[in-house]
Amino acid sequence: MPSLLILIVGLPLLAAVVTAVFGSKLLGRHAHWPAILGIAGSCLCSLALIAQVSDKQSHSAGPSQAGYAETITLWNWADIGHAYDQAPKAIAPGADVLAPGADVLVTPGGMRRFTIDITLRADALTAMMLGMLTFVATLVTIYGAGYMHGDRGYWRFFAYVSLFVFSMTMLVSASNFLLLYVFWEAVGVCSYLLIGFWYEKPEAAAAGKKAFLVNRVGDFGFALALFLIWVTYGTLNFHDTANVAGVLGQTRLLGELGFVGGGVGFAICILLLVGACGKSAQFPLHVWLPDAMEGPTPVSALIHAATMVTAGVYMIARCMPLFLAAPDALLIVSVIGGITMLLAALIALTQYDLKRVLAYSTISQLGYMFLAMGVGTTAAATAGVFHLFTHAFFKALLFLGAGSVMHSMGHVIDMRRFGGLRRVMPITHFTFAIGCLALAGVFPFAGFWSKDAIVAAVHDKVHILEHQGMERHGNAHDAADPEQHAAGRAAADVASAVVTPSVTPVFGLTPSSRARVYQTLYGVAIFTALLTAFYTFRAFFMTFYGPLRTPHEAGPHPHESPRSMTWPLLGLAFGAATFGVLFEGGGWSPLFAKFVQGSPSFAYGFAEYKEFHPDVAMASTVVVLMGIALAAYMYLGHQREVDWIAGLLQFRWLSSLQNLEWVNRAEQHRWLVATKKLAGQLALGWLYGLARGLVVLLATVAIAPLMLVHNLSPYQLSSRKFFFDEIYNAVIVAPLRLLATLSYWVDRYLVDGLVDTCGRFPFGVGRFFRGLQIGLVQFYALAMALGALVLIAVLWLGAAG
Amino acid sequence: MSSPHLLILTILLPALGAAALWVLAPLGAAVARRVALGAALATLFLSAALVMRYPPEGAFNFAAFEAPWLETTSLNISFSVGLDGLSIWLFALSPLLLLTAVLVSWEAIKDRAALFFALLLLLETGCLGVFAARDVILFYVFFEFTLIPLFFLIGLWGSEDRRHAAMKFFIYTLAGSVLTFLGLLAIVIWHAQASPDGAMTFSIDQLTAAVKSGVSMPAQWQCWIFLALFAGFAIKVPLFPLHTWLPLAHVQAPTAGSVFLAGILLKIGGYGFLRFSIPLLPDATVIFLPWLLWLSVIGIIYGALVALAQTDIKRLIAYSSVSHLGFCMLGLFSLTALGVQGGALQLVNHGLSTGGLFALVGMLYERYHTREISDYGGLAKKLPVLAFFMLVFTFSAIGLPGLNGFAGEFILLTGVFQGAWLTETPFFPQYLLIAVLAVLGVVLGAWYMLWLVQRVFFGPLKEPAGREHHAVADLSIREIFALAPLVVFVVWIGLQPGFFIKRMATSLTSATASAVQTLDREATAATALPAATALPVAEEALTRAD
Repeated sequence: MPSLLILIVGLPLLAAVVTAVFGSKLLGRHAHWPAILGIAGSCLCSLALIAQVSDKQSHSAGPSQAGYAETITLWNWADIGHAYDQAPKAIAPGADVLAPGADVLVTPGGMRRFTIDITLRADALTAMMLGMLTFVATLVTIYGAGYMHGDRGYWRFFAYVSLFVFSMTMLVSASNFLLLYVFWEAVGVCSYLLIGFWYEKPEAAAAGKKAFLVNRVGDFGFALALFLIWVTYGTLNFHDTANVAGVLGQTRLLGELGFVGGGVGFAICILLLVGACGKSAQFPLHVWLPDAMEGPTPVSALIHAATMVTAGVYMIARCMPLFLAAPDALLIVSVIGGITMLLAALIALTQYDLKRVLAYSTISQLGYMFLAMGVGTTAAATAGVFHLFTHAFFKALLFLGAGSVMHSMGHVIDMRRFGGLRRVMPITHFTFAIGCLALAGVFPFAGFWSKDAIVAAVHDKVHILEHQGMERHGNAHDAADPEQHAAGRAAADVASAVVTPSVTPVFGLTPSSRARVYQTLYGVAIFTALLTAFYTFRAFFMTFYGPLRTPHEAGPHPHESPRSMTWPLLGLAFGAATFGVLFEGGGWSPLFAKFVQGSPSFAYGFAEYKEFHPDVAMASTVVVLMGIALAAYMYLGHQREVDWIAGLLQFRWLSSLQNLEWVNRAEQHRWLVATKKLAGQLALGWLYGLARGLVVLLATVAIAPLMLVHNLSPYQLSSRKFFFDEIYNAVIVAPLRLLATLSYWVDRYLVDGLVDTCGRFPFGVGRFFRGLQIGLVQFYALAMALGALVLIAVLWLGAAG
Repeated sequence: MSSPHLLILTILLPALGAAALWVLAPLGAAVARRVALGAALATLFLSAALVMRYPPEGAFNFAAFEAPWLETTSLNISFSVGLDGLSIWLFALSPLLLLTAVLVSWEAIKDRAALFFALLLLLETGCLGVFAARDVILFYVFFEFTLIPLFFLIGLWGSEDRRHAAMKFFIYTLAGSVLTFLGLLAIVIWHAQASPDGAMTFSIDQLTAAVKSGVSMPAQWQCWIFLALFAGFAIKVPLFPLHTWLPLAHVQAPTAGSVFLAGILLKIGGYGFLRFSIPLLPDATVIFLPWLLWLSVIGIIYGALVALAQTDIKRLIAYSSVSHLGFCMLGLFSLTALGVQGGALQLVNHGLSTGGLFALVGMLYERYHTREISDYGGLAKKLPVLAFFMLVFTFSAIGLPGLNGFAGEFILLTGVFQGAWLTETPFFPQYLLIAVLAVLGVVLGAWYMLWLVQRVFFGPLKEPAGREHHAVADLSIREIFALAPLVVFVVWIGLQPGFFIKRMATSLTSATASAVQTLDREATAATALPAATALPVAEEALTRAD
């Protein structure tokens, strides 16, 4: 097993190095081979790893134990003695360190080493991520060989992609927070390099920088979380070592081992969430992902849809035990997910750039995963990770399909400029259709199973919380009978299949008020499903249906993409179509759930598998079909309805008011003409002019707010992405720039001015003493002489003393 | 050859090279630079041999060499050198940067090349001496000695405003270091009159040992002396608000001067704090701790903000130094194991990354003769190798994981959090704020550096007016050799900081032990007396001393 792990991460690294060293000169047009071979080899090893982990898991005593994981340490990164004072400290009122499990925590002497090893781990979650990642990466790299054909930076592309695959495999197999952070940033750098791949384009360079910086804001939170974890737990390891239990080990909710809840636990989780929001483009840090579409399309598929952006979800899944100790943080995870999925879906409705529609849909789907992660039940977390898994296939498929369209349309991606491509590009059309059905969540495609599992888990959570609320209500009366109380709670726990750690909540929300929040989120999830179906098929119909239209960049005979591009599409389409049935099957064959729940991160609580909810499935199916039907009605028929609805949503009636033409028209009125004539005769023409001016001014003033409203029409809000970029520029970027300029001014005139003033003083004194002009060297000699004098004085003093 | 002799030879070799250059000056620039390169390589080789002999678990006085120098009956000033964990990496860093400095000056310096390279080599001897000195007077002599060559390097080979810059640099640092000297003498004298036999010692080790054994100066004395030492060291670092000489000196200095200034000379400030202020004046260090932490973190944020407003590449990097050294000092003043060791490592890291960045700016300047950011654009297309190195050093500077900057920054910031966490006094919220602000400084750092790279190297190609059609070549082999050794260490420290930290750890722990003890004592006292705040203590101590 360890050798497999090393191969999985090592092969892409080797490919990256080989491509970087030999790429430009030796390999030339064949620069894709090291990458394809390396990543495909990594993929085979990953599949073998999955088999091994699955085998070992089935032979261990089952998921009720600590879960199964194996680690391998490569070398020591740093080791600093006397680094951690053992006594933990509370940060805020309400903070409490529960059952510190002293036997595990304390090391002799009370001081602990800061030891960071380069350690890899393999458990079910890692194996699953590795399998998904390398499989998609293999197909994308093959596709890239066709897509990037003839590009000036051909070898550079494959070097970066291999480097990315290496970083991402390391990220998911890291076994401590530091290593996770290292590769968290490393994938960010690969993303930065690949977004700015065509760096001559200013938009690409700017998008790369923006992505990096927004991610840095997220990493700011992540780093703070790491420091807090260190000061509270005294280790950054996930796994247990000889005398120190790892973070996950310490938080493992088996028996009565301790974990940190309360204020500190909440703070850690929220800061981790900030990091996850940056990487996974969640509200309010989602602004970088749409711009990241400036990169080559295979990159958008691999990094900005299937793998890197799901790192946030992976991180939360990995840290699930920490989050379970802070229910309020869980709630916030869900709320962030809910806001993001709705916001992004609303924006996606009006975008005309095919890749941006898909980018917003990625953000929205990641929102679903966050929602699932925040529910805090085994079923929900499994569902979230399963959605991560299926999403990787169908979203990579959609992006590669969009890339195929772009490739044959001469790099035009504006959906208004092409249409009716289904006959020209049959394979792209067919596979894209499968992707759309999976994304929209139509039975029996992959997206249906995973999305449905999330929605159902939220649904269950509401019931669990309502049940708890009632139970709590009941307990107030039954307090006299503790035995019955305990029995009732145990029964409730089994029934709900949820772990409810008894921690001090930060917000002090009652279960029933939390139930209301999740109820709202359930509604949001269903509504977003409607929006998803609509915008997905809007894009599909606009691209592939209607009369054939192609832009002039595409040349006279647009054609299907080469085989190196269509085969990966077919491979991914297979996954998008079948993986739901194969791995989940609605509770009949929960292969995926069974496998993933063997991970130490998930091995808390009960291994109950979720039940299939026909009612929830029905509700979401109906909603999805409505969305598709609406899209078909609006984009397949005449566009009159579209125009009418668009006019309504754009507040077009307001724009007619903005036109001040009516003043001129009013002036043609005969009463006014007569008045004007009269005023002219009475030599009061100026009075008439004044009055006219006043009317125009008043009208303008009155219309100004209306114009503002016009800019805030639903359509504008969606099309302008809710003005997030503008708001961030006005609230953060511009003030910081101003502050920077101000600081520089202060530095030049205040700080340095003060220094110069002080500097002038001795010069004045000096000028007083010396009549001659003295050069610099002499000045130094003088200083040395002074120094020597002091020294002599000291010697003399010393001798005298 | 025995290690002590090796050490002496390493220190003196550059000076011998300088002497040879003086003799060979009439033979012209081509000979001069080859001699300089030979001396630099030989010094690097010797220092590498020393480092390889240095025990991995650390040493307190490795390769110690002592010879009588100025001796009288009651005091002995000796020529005493040796290496320990505090100095080993800074000592090893300077020959590495000397090589870079010689190679980047290869063609840039045509005027009086022999003199230029001789001064560079003298500067090297000065720097090596500062880090190796184990005697207060010897330290001070080397400390002051570094000023002269650099003064001439800036004043003679600098840009337009070089005379002003050289003057300001010289007087500013000299003014501070005179006070430092007085402070050091005061320490020596106090210890002489406190010791039973009244013997005056200038040996740093003996003074440190005395403090450790419990000979403790009154707190108000310590405070005044601390301020005197602070004057010199804080200007050198430079800590906010004593930094304004630095941007001017950097912008005007020739490339080699900037490399040396940023890479080595600034480190003397941090080294001075570690060698003298913290071990010899532990009470004062603890009393001033809140102020020092605040000054460091203000430097981080303020330096980053001012860097953001710059239009001149060199000045931008100069201000980034202010920000980065704020990190180092923050780590050192956290007085936690992680903070101190991370901070000491970060001193080395900053030398590597900023040295590399200044060398790159020099290479750019040699090609286009402008430092204005707005004159450039899209150079990655024309100079891909230069752009690659720029990206590596930028990533190193902004603390990208896997490279050296991250290792130092992460460890020291963990230490700062640890320090904040262990603070029981009412200073805790402030300290936490300091820690958070420092992490925020990391984000700002990424912003100004990436913005710089984006404007200069990405986007459509734009070359300075009038030079669009000049044939501009990418980096030559010589230039790659100037940068590659730095890159090796940038990556090595990033992958295995433990290797470097292990060799520093024992000395650093020992240097900060007294101050940490005082801190612990105060923390215990503060829990007993929760009303006492740290800041008034400093004021009180100063007023009492009046």
